[in-house]
Amino acid sequence: MFSYKSLSEAAAKVYDESRRKGGGILDKLKEVLAESMAGTPAVSVFGLFSVPQSVVVTWILMALLTGASLILTRGMQRIPNGRQTLLELGVGTFNHFCEENLGRHWRVFAPWLFTVAVYIAAANLSGLIGLAPPTRDLAVTAALALMSMLLIYGAQFRFRGLGGGLKKFAQPMPVLLPINLMEVFIRPLSLCMRLFGNVLAAYVIMEMIKTLAPAVVPVAFSLYFDIFDGLIQTLVFVFLTALFLGESIEEEE
Amino acid sequence: MTLAIGAALAVFTGIGAGIGIGIATGKAAESIARQPEAADKIRGTFILGAALAEATAIYGFITALAIIILK
Repeated sequence: MFSYKSLSEAAAKVYDESRRKGGGILDKLKEVLAESMAGTPAVSVFGLFSVPQSVVVTWILMALLTGASLILTRGMQRIPNGRQTLLELGVGTFNHFCEENLGRHWRVFAPWLFTVAVYIAAANLSGLIGLAPPTRDLAVTAALALMSMLLIYGAQFRFRGLGGGLKKFAQPMPVLLPINLMEVFIRPLSLCMRLFGNVLAAYVIMEMIKTLAPAVVPVAFSLYFDIFDGLIQTLVFVFLTALFLGESIEEEE
Repeated sequence: MTLAIGAALAVFTGIGAGIGIGIATGKAAESIARQPEAADKIRGTFILGAALAEATAIYGFITALAIIILK
């Protein structure tokens, strides 16, 4: 039976084996693969308890992002100075994006979508400062996708009422009912797998390049795989969530 | 050995994704050239289509990983 648990257990075993053997490029690559599939290794906190590495990196990112927000929003004025102008431009652009995709009720959802966007972008780019990207852990992307699913279908029932929310599943035609019900599970699955697969693929390819050519060459590839791909995947995740959300709350003519 | 062949077959999904994204990009470039004022809307649709097309390649990749690792 295929399950995340059996997968991660098998991967952990392969990881241990290849760690012990060590040696050639293939073993090293297998180690990287197995480590990624096993979920990131556990880290012990002050020797008290152990948590997955992705959680620790997320704590670091949380501290950095919270600190950045506190510094950036200090001393706001009615007439904005340079830093505040830039900040307002960013938030304004994102609000406009939400308004375009979500319609009239965008204001409720914009903060959540922006938070997810900032977190995923920071997580994907964290490889640049030597941290292991938390989005490389299947559990993290699964959690993000589940939150998106709860938001999408929660909003559907909140804005349409129980009857209207149920009726939405039989739209635009009653024949599509089974497909719409399948989508409830396929959407989060594809959101989760897309983000995880992309980040993992980028990480594996970068590790391969680093093993083959340790100097200079990885820089050019890192620009594409770490920065460009990371930001595109952030955009895709938030855009798809916004699109599904907009579809589920759109008003009838 | 057979596992490796299976994994290689799974990664062949990349062909479909490559063709799909190629067609999407070509058409998007064409339509932006024809109607530059609709560029924003076209870009949104294009990113959505590319993301959905690319998902198949990602599924193949993950299946290949699972085949190799789970054996």
